[in-house]
Amino acid sequence: MKKNLIGIAMLSLILSACKNDDQYDMSNFKSDIEIVFNGTTATVTGDTNGFVSVNGADVTVNGANNTTANMTITLSGTASEGSLLVYNIRSYTLVLKGVSIHNSDGPAINNQGSKSLYLVLADGTTNTLSDGTTYADAPVNASGTAIDQKATLFSEGQIYFNGTGTLNVNGNAKNGVASDDYVTILSSTINIMVASTGSNGIKANDGMFIKGGNLNIDVAAKGARGIKNDARTEISGGTTTIITRGACKIETIDGITDTTSCAGIKSDSLFTMTAGTLTITSKGDGGKGINCSENIEFNGGSMTVVTEGDNKIGKPKAVKSDTGIILRGGYFHAECKKSWACDNGSDSDEPEDHLTIVGTPVSKTIGKRLVEVSF
Amino acid sequence: MERGMNKAALAFVFLMGLAPLSPTKAQDDFGMWYEVAAEKKLLKGLNVSAEMGFRTRNNTRTADRLNFGVEAEYKIIKWLKISAGYSLLDYNNKEKLSLKQDNVRANKWTPSYWGIRHRVNVSLSGSVDIDRLSISLRERWQYTYRPEVANKKYDIEEMTWEPVLSKHKHLLRSRIQLSYDFPHWKFDPFVNVELFNGWDLQKVRYQAGVEYRYRKQHIFALTYRYQDNRNDDDQETDIHLVGISYKFKF
Repeated sequence: MKKNLIGIAMLSLILSACKNDDQYDMSNFKSDIEIVFNGTTATVTGDTNGFVSVNGADVTVNGANNTTANMTITLSGTASEGSLLVYNIRSYTLVLKGVSIHNSDGPAINNQGSKSLYLVLADGTTNTLSDGTTYADAPVNASGTAIDQKATLFSEGQIYFNGTGTLNVNGNAKNGVASDDYVTILSSTINIMVASTGSNGIKANDGMFIKGGNLNIDVAAKGARGIKNDARTEISGGTTTIITRGACKIETIDGITDTTSCAGIKSDSLFTMTAGTLTITSKGDGGKGINCSENIEFNGGSMTVVTEGDNKIGKPKAVKSDTGIILRGGYFHAECKKSWACDNGSDSDEPEDHLTIVGTPVSKTIGKRLVEVSF
Repeated sequence: MERGMNKAALAFVFLMGLAPLSPTKAQDDFGMWYEVAAEKKLLKGLNVSAEMGFRTRNNTRTADRLNFGVEAEYKIIKWLKISAGYSLLDYNNKEKLSLKQDNVRANKWTPSYWGIRHRVNVSLSGSVDIDRLSISLRERWQYTYRPEVANKKYDIEEMTWEPVLSKHKHLLRSRIQLSYDFPHWKFDPFVNVELFNGWDLQKVRYQAGVEYRYRKQHIFALTYRYQDNRNDDDQETDIHLVGISYKFKF
């Protein structure tokens, strides 16, 4: 009898060893949040981790302690007065699925996460973000620091634009789109209109990469840039059209007067283009098409830059580089109504000295106000 | 009476071996080991054996591994034996969650999964007897190979499943053991300490137990083990184990 009991006890111990000891399951790694705006309210579904709080149509997603969940936030509906503010320690996906957000006193979307923001414009949808002309004081984060609010669509981390939908950004106070990291456009149609009360179309701190899609930027403010990039700029696809309408911006700070001219693209590091189409029109006084602190290397694609502005305050240039303009392929057209089409820093009066052509183009016209080279 | 006192004193010494030499922690695990073996003497000094085992973890709630092994042992001289063995292990690999470089965000998750491992070993064992006390030292080289297994590791950011790549591992296991043969008593207690060395000390196993012989052919053993895992890459927690084994000698 005792033997049987011992045997049964051992057998039950063995058979009871069938429980999984995992601490996680797939639900720990996924968080699909849907936010639907409706005027001045918003409804949230799928917030199983309790990340989301709603105040009217101001929605805050707080994933500051989210170490595991791969988050996707989908926005739809219309917010007449609302916003989305996201703190997330991980990269995440934000799907715009036919959403319209207007925030009169701050960014429509503010991503405070320093990791990648994958912004997906859902197929067949048109999405609109807009702000007012002045922003209220910024909210403070968990550290007690006021957060940045640099654009209608602002991100501390990288932004990847993807999808086949359309995004309209109407900036009225600051930049249209800004990232304290870099911006990459993979696909989609992005229309950025920044009023004279605003600033740049896109502001990127660490790089601007256009690989596909349609990007249309129209900026009206004085001294505004279609794309202002503190680092490298690469265009390897897509169709980009930029119009700057403002004249020079004159500021006096500590008794020193500084003049800032508009530019279609202002790049503080190397500019390269290998494919795609780039069209820049600068309309204001002293405006520049491309203004680059390092080399401009044009290896392919089609680039047409026209500056129509006067030269009463600033010095307009179609394509300006502080170190060199090098053409190796594609179609290049630079035209300036009032000054040099190409300026590579040379003092020479000979237009040929203002750029470098590598290889043998099919045709070339090199003048002071017009440079057209086709490979 | 005196014999009883001696037994009690020795039993106390062995029971001391039950207490692990390093302090135990509240989060230590508990598991069971079950082993069944058969041994056959082929020639003088040459024995072959086969064994099957089953282990549990997670306070015995989770199966840890199944194993089947064969071994040949040859007594070179009176105090020195050499042995070689192979084991097929079906191991319930523990769940792993790796972090990104910031040491905060989760990177890849491998839920627990059953996977095969092949293990071979070669051992040299030397022993000396002092009266009825036996002291033995075993040095064992152990090589384990884990074949690649597809779709077991989840990349959280990419949301894709990746294979767990194959891996092999060499270990030198050093075990020193004391055992005592009480006269006219079928229970033989033993204690041992075993160090598992890779490039560094990976774990230390402390064992104490008692063997019971029945009619020379049947050997039962009840063992307590404490496994102090140091740098073991299976991410095992320290564990208390109770082992029950049976060996049949042909």
